[in-house]
Amino acid sequence: MNIAIKYTEPELVQQLKVKDNTAYQYLYMNYRGALYNVILQTFSEEETASDILQEVFVHIWKNIDKYDASKGRLFTWMLKLTRNIVISQTRIKNFKVHSKNEDIDNYVNNVEQKMPQQVAVNHIGLRQQVHKLRPELKDVIELSYFQGFKQEEIAEILSIPLGTVKTRLRNAIIELRKDFV
Amino acid sequence: MDIQEYISSGIIELYVMGLCTPEEEKEMELLRQQHPILEQAILAYEMQLENKMLQQVTLPSAETDQRILKKLESLQQTPVVKMVTNKDVTPAKKLNWIKPFAAAVLFAVSAYFNYTLLQKNKKLEGLVKTEGQSPLPLADYEVITNPAITPVGMYGQGSHAICRCTMFWDKKTGNAYIMIHHLPQSNDATDYQLWAEVDGKPVSVGIIDDSIRGKFIKVQNVPAGAIAFKVTLGKSGGESSPENGDLYLAGRI
Repeated sequence: MNIAIKYTEPELVQQLKVKDNTAYQYLYMNYRGALYNVILQTFSEEETASDILQEVFVHIWKNIDKYDASKGRLFTWMLKLTRNIVISQTRIKNFKVHSKNEDIDNYVNNVEQKMPQQVAVNHIGLRQQVHKLRPELKDVIELSYFQGFKQEEIAEILSIPLGTVKTRLRNAIIELRKDFV
Repeated sequence: MDIQEYISSGIIELYVMGLCTPEEEKEMELLRQQHPILEQAILAYEMQLENKMLQQVTLPSAETDQRILKKLESLQQTPVVKMVTNKDVTPAKKLNWIKPFAAAVLFAVSAYFNYTLLQKNKKLEGLVKTEGQSPLPLADYEVITNPAITPVGMYGQGSHAICRCTMFWDKKTGNAYIMIHHLPQSNDATDYQLWAEVDGKPVSVGIIDDSIRGKFIKVQNVPAGAIAFKVTLGKSGGESSPENGDLYLAGRI
């Protein structure tokens, strides 16, 4: 599809908010590749990944009014939204795969065991960089960024103080800066 | 606070990626207003992240592109606003008798409307199908007992004095619910339409489907800042302005 129009970010946001179809086509054609890449980091199977990509754009369409430009750029918002959808899909799939009766405590205890298998097939982009980190830094990013656990939950899962989670997260980011940004 | 040290601590990246605690996020939102350098650093990181990620793309198949573009187009064609039936609420399932207060509230609401209907409708009793002794449909228990939710009574206007409905409006979350107590059936050529008043102007919230009578319905897309609601009867598919329709119900928050 050939989309000749070019928007500034405020113009694009304004058109998205009035549900202008051309603006959504433009948005999709310009950002699908980056967001699809994010999805593929967790779901490498094309069929699942493309379904999630559709869900992401439908979610953007339905929730664009919640986007607040004073809190960040449109891409950052879409990126966070994509990550949240990926995480919720991961949880749904994990829940379906791993025992219907598994209670929360067991789920949390099993997270670490689940991690390595899940990651083995997904060495793409950021995730690949993250897995080059020292194990203690890798774990906090893996649990936080890829699995969506809150810092308090990570402290509980890894049996370390909250302050240590904070320090490790920041140190991991500083390490990643060299490779990633 | 040493702002440079704060910037280089890694907190900006965590904030932008949404990995901070809510406390850290609040702190950042405050500090970015006070320190232009921090604001710049956040924007710079966002741009850097965006540029980097837009260089690392994997394109989906052409079929996926077509499918999603078509889906987005179909969303655009669906009416922006629609009424969605809330989960079916049956008294036996939803009403927790251990909490009799809620039941009392519901009964009082029901009794009140039945009473007012009865008073107003005395002369028109023969024409109107009243609710009789049966209670009104039960609202979602959590909604009607939520102190943050304002009930907005909507009263019949002019010759439609017998009509009645209630909106339940949560200003904080923007969630709204409607319960239609009485509204005559519309014919094929006409539809009821719900309007919200924002900044003195009417905004269409959507068409009221005839099937929602007697149910407790969640209403989507009620605009923020609404101060009043109206229901009009106009041409099928909706009117561009409430002036074009016949005003049936009106209520103010």
